[in-house]
Amino acid sequence: MSPVIHTEGLTKRYHDRPALSGLDLDVQAGTLFGYLGPNGAGKTTTIRLLAGLIRPTAGYASVLGADVVRERETAQRRIGYLPGDFVAYPDLTAAEYLRYMANLRGGVDASATRQLAKRLDLDLDHVIGAMSHGNRQKVGIVQALQHDPELLILDEPTQGLDPLVQREFLAMLREARSAGRTVFLCSHVLSEVEAVADTVGILRQGHLVEVASVAGLKAKALRRLDIMFESAPPIDTLRSVPGVTEVVANGSGVQVLVAGSMAALLAAAAPFRIASLVTHEPDLEEIFLTYYGEQG
Amino acid sequence: MTVLTNVFVKTLRDQRKALVGWSVGLAVLVVLEAALWPTVRNMGDLREFIANYPEAIRELFKIDEFASGIGFLNGELYSLLLPILFLVYGIGRGAKAIAGEEEAGTLEVLLTTRVSPTSLVLHRAAALTVAVGCLGVVLFVAVVLCSPVFGLDITAGDALTGSLAVVLLGVEFGWLALAVSAVSGRHVVAIAVSSALAVAAYLLYAAGGLVSVLEPWRGISPFHQALAEGPLGAGLPVVYLWMPAAAAVFVLAALPVFERRDITVH
Repeated sequence: MSPVIHTEGLTKRYHDRPALSGLDLDVQAGTLFGYLGPNGAGKTTTIRLLAGLIRPTAGYASVLGADVVRERETAQRRIGYLPGDFVAYPDLTAAEYLRYMANLRGGVDASATRQLAKRLDLDLDHVIGAMSHGNRQKVGIVQALQHDPELLILDEPTQGLDPLVQREFLAMLREARSAGRTVFLCSHVLSEVEAVADTVGILRQGHLVEVASVAGLKAKALRRLDIMFESAPPIDTLRSVPGVTEVVANGSGVQVLVAGSMAALLAAAAPFRIASLVTHEPDLEEIFLTYYGEQG
Repeated sequence: MTVLTNVFVKTLRDQRKALVGWSVGLAVLVVLEAALWPTVRNMGDLREFIANYPEAIRELFKIDEFASGIGFLNGELYSLLLPILFLVYGIGRGAKAIAGEEEAGTLEVLLTTRVSPTSLVLHRAAALTVAVGCLGVVLFVAVVLCSPVFGLDITAGDALTGSLAVVLLGVEFGWLALAVSAVSGRHVVAIAVSSALAVAAYLLYAAGGLVSVLEPWRGISPFHQALAEGPLGAGLPVVYLWMPAAAAVFVLAALPVFERRDITVH
């Protein structure tokens, strides 16, 4: 099956300053792709290229098989787009705005709009200009989802949302994926991406530095263990185990950082009578920092 | 709840308050000016008074024709004040038409719907024409109603060409502003470019009557096309057609540029 998003050497320069350099990316149908990177890494540039709002300096991108430059209208018809700085007309109520957008898109079921608003706890009768930032963001989310698009392109969608609504929103994304939709989720909030994404791409200074499954990334990540020994900890033995990058002694306990599998470490430590052992699940935050450490 | 079916409807809906305000203002202006006519007509030494004006001014403001109601309104309202008002409305709305949304940040989502850059510009241009046309209708009605009340002796046909002339002027420069707005994405640039061109066109029209070198070029000024024959009582001159033609050229030239350029984030 051809990928929902496909780019080849996609490049965007602004006055010779590269914002995105040679992006080669495939996102398969039915996946939730997390697009990660610090601010200024080129995430928004990628998203705006995919949404057909800016033109590539070089390279090619297609969305659902449609060239984002030459078949822009076809591509746009099938996406739901939430910009990073979503702004709606302040003098309209949420209902008026969403109806307007629905009319401009065509084929939107009004009950779908109401249902989405209800799940996000959004009052449609309020004037957008008088809304809190979080409620305005909800309007943007409903706008992107109400026509049930095949591909959702979302730039920092959870900003301003309170935790409960965030959770509901992430559940909505999972449901969209279960229904065969594809989600391209751009964020610098790692925990939310980690919670929902199948695959992540990490972008740094306009370059894609890694594409991997969340599970695969975690496997490669540094994992921290706290080991308590019944006697003095065998620090030198532990240090010599392949994959161990750091050993810090703390009384009869040690804190060990190990990359990848823990098998060799546990085999080396077992003869020394382990009293207790705690492993910490690596989160993407650490992985992220690892990438920066390597590249920075 | 207003049902906003498309960009055209939304654009007019956004201008509804402005249109009401401008309509009231225009009507009041016409009534106040027309109310002066009985006094002016009865001034015994009017011709002597007029003769004291320099010839160029007499010609530009058609003061020699002050002896008739048509000449009076042409000189007092239609030769400068009404063109300026229609230009201000047209340029103001045209300049905001694309750049206003782009600067506010609402353009991004709008353009990812079925609305293409071209259809957006065309909807805006149509709405601008209807809005300026509405002001023209208000002006027409006000003049037609005032004529018998104050004895101006202006027929509906005279009033029609007067309204048409200022509407065409407003639309031409409004579409110019819209074109610059679409190309540049900045409403200040659109206002500056269109206002500068409007001033240049007016100077060419005005100076063309004084400076013989400029005289042959006067015809290219939209002000000359719109005002030289009246505009009240001009009798639908063919040169009016230059104004919509030029307006169309501006917009058509802007379309391919707007289709290709990047939408900016502010």
